[in-house]
Amino acid sequence: MMKHIKKISFWFLVLFLLILICMPGIWIFVSAFRPNPEILAKPANWIPDRWTIHQFTQMFSINGYVSVPAFKYLMNSVIISSVSTVIAITIGMMGGYAFARFNFKGKNKIFLGLMLARAVPGISLSLPLFILFAKIGIINTSFGVILVYVAMNVPFTIWLTDGFFRQIPKEMSEVARTDGCTRFQAFWNVELPLAGPGIGAAAIFAFLLSWNEYALASIITRTVHSKTLPIGMMDYLDEFTINWAGMCAIAVVMIIPALILTFIVQKHLVSGLTFGGVKG
Amino acid sequence: MANVELKNLTKKYGDVVAVQNMNLKIPHNEFLVLVGPSGCGKSTTLRMIAGLEEITGGEIFIGNQLVNEKDPKDRNVSMVFQNYALYPHMTVEENLGFSLKIAKVEKKEIEQRVKEAVQILGLEELQKRKPSQLSGGQRQRVAMGRAIVRRPDAFLFDEPLSNLDAKLRTQMRTEIKKLHQNLKTTVIYVTHDQVEAMTLADRIIIMKDGYIEQIGSPIEVFNKPVNVFVATFIGSPPMNIIECDIIKKDNNLFIQVDKNTTFLCPKEKINSLENLKKVLIGIRAEDIVPLDNAITSNNANWTFEKIIDLAEPLGTETQLFFKLSNKEIISRMYNPRPVNIGENIIFQIAINKVHFFNYETEKTI
Ligand SMILES: Nc1ncnc2c1ncn2[C@@H]1O[C@H](COP(=O)(O)OP(=O)(O)O)[C@@H](O)[C@H]1O
Ligand SMILES: [Mg+2]
Repeated sequence: MMKHIKKISFWFLVLFLLILICMPGIWIFVSAFRPNPEILAKPANWIPDRWTIHQFTQMFSINGYVSVPAFKYLMNSVIISSVSTVIAITIGMMGGYAFARFNFKGKNKIFLGLMLARAVPGISLSLPLFILFAKIGIINTSFGVILVYVAMNVPFTIWLTDGFFRQIPKEMSEVARTDGCTRFQAFWNVELPLAGPGIGAAAIFAFLLSWNEYALASIITRTVHSKTLPIGMMDYLDEFTINWAGMCAIAVVMIIPALILTFIVQKHLVSGLTFGGVKG
Repeated sequence: MANVELKNLTKKYGDVVAVQNMNLKIPHNEFLVLVGPSGCGKSTTLRMIAGLEEITGGEIFIGNQLVNEKDPKDRNVSMVFQNYALYPHMTVEENLGFSLKIAKVEKKEIEQRVKEAVQILGLEELQKRKPSQLSGGQRQRVAMGRAIVRRPDAFLFDEPLSNLDAKLRTQMRTEIKKLHQNLKTTVIYVTHDQVEAMTLADRIIIMKDGYIEQIGSPIEVFNKPVNVFVATFIGSPPMNIIECDIIKKDNNLFIQVDKNTTFLCPKEKINSLENLKKVLIGIRAEDIVPLDNAITSNNANWTFEKIIDLAEPLGTETQLFFKLSNKEIISRMYNPRPVNIGENIIFQIAINKVHFFNYETEKTI
């Protein structure tokens, strides 16, 4: 009997914590589909009286009127995040492989340096970056943002992929090389497929990091030309009013891809971290 | 189809010398076993031959071609690793055919050669499986199959059986031996297990600290070890080594083993022992024969009586432990009878079975 009560109260606690954690998310979702006044109602109105997709149709200018060019922001976000991820993961993978497989002078120091670079708070770089980018004329360009995100993600992907390659016994590539492979063929045919899930997970992490990044983008993007979704959200902030509904709607647009990728990454991470049968 | 030759092969890791000036000629079709304690440089030697480890000095020839600068892929040798290193993401079939696929061999021929290997190794049932679905012995077979398919000039085995349990190890040992007889290729086989070395090898190389201690057929290294290290490393249980004094009495040379145990120095050793004070003698357990089943021989014998400290019956034989010159000595009693601890047993040793080693250098006299 005591056992039952313990179990039930445990689950209630879990449920309570879950609701607590999800509350802001739920609030955003609900608010994205109702008019602004209802959001500000006091006491809070949890179930909307009137559901509407007004914010979304406006945002994507379905009936001709554009409040905020969300589609352009979405495209910017997609392009910047994917391109920077592809570049970062390519460089990171090669770096991680080098750290995992080769011995070279100052290896540990370089690795430490990379990790320390991660420890620098990004926002402290914003002013130097702004001045530098303005001087060389890549301020307010997708290229500039991509550059920053690549730099931000490379140490992280190196660190992750290094771990994944380390888990593959080095005999794997050695046997491939005596089997007639060049070093690259051994990498391509044997080590890469084995590290694949891990690299995929690292790529998704890098993508999410870029997708959600706000601090640096808010400094180096100025117009619709290069603004990403998180920055675009600020368009709903007027001098005297805040369009909460619009903000929530654009947040939903942002959250959905991130949510999907997070689910994928969870699955991949598990398989990435528990290599089956590599040890032979 | 190739002989392998090493000339002054040396490998250093910083200050650590892993292999020192190794010279070796391995004729075609020889089964050569490199044996020695862990860390003596066996794997390093093998990996240098395969091209996986850079050479610090010396030369390697495979089929009379200098391969120092060649990549592993161009050396046409196959290596089998201790942990098998099967490609986990490929089926058995794909594992076997991988090298041919890389070499862009025609599909039909790949199938043909994979089929051959599958038949030789009895892998028919397992072709579609992934390595994770195989037992240790099966993985071992696949690893060998993968090596066979390439038709290499030489097979390199690095402790291929040490991950298997005792029974399977004996079985696979026989299979490897058969395989070599069928394929007729050069095999270089590394192991730390002297039994494996003795049973498999045409020729054994015993290594220690990066040096070759002795090269010879299994019988040679067993019967004529060049020093104490080889004598104790080859054979099980290890050869008994006893420190003895040399004494002259009445114009005769005696070897004094302990206070009341001496024997006459054999004639052919007199010259070399005359001027020494001390000598190490080595006697294998099976040469210390309890008198009740001693074979009478024409050779001079040395007989003594000892109290048994411990008896370990093993079925076909019983190992008897006693003390000689304060050292624990193992003897083997074949056709055993029950032996009690504390029993007095008379042992006999044929003097020509006693090995003599220099006390300082530990080299055979
Ligand atoms: N990568 C390495 N770096 C430094 N020392 C090594 C390396 N590989 C092997 N050694 C050293 O070289 C010696 C021989 O090693 P190895 O050939 O693996 O021995 P074995 O296979 O006979 O057990 C050992 O002393 C070992 O510590
Ligand atoms: Mg080894």
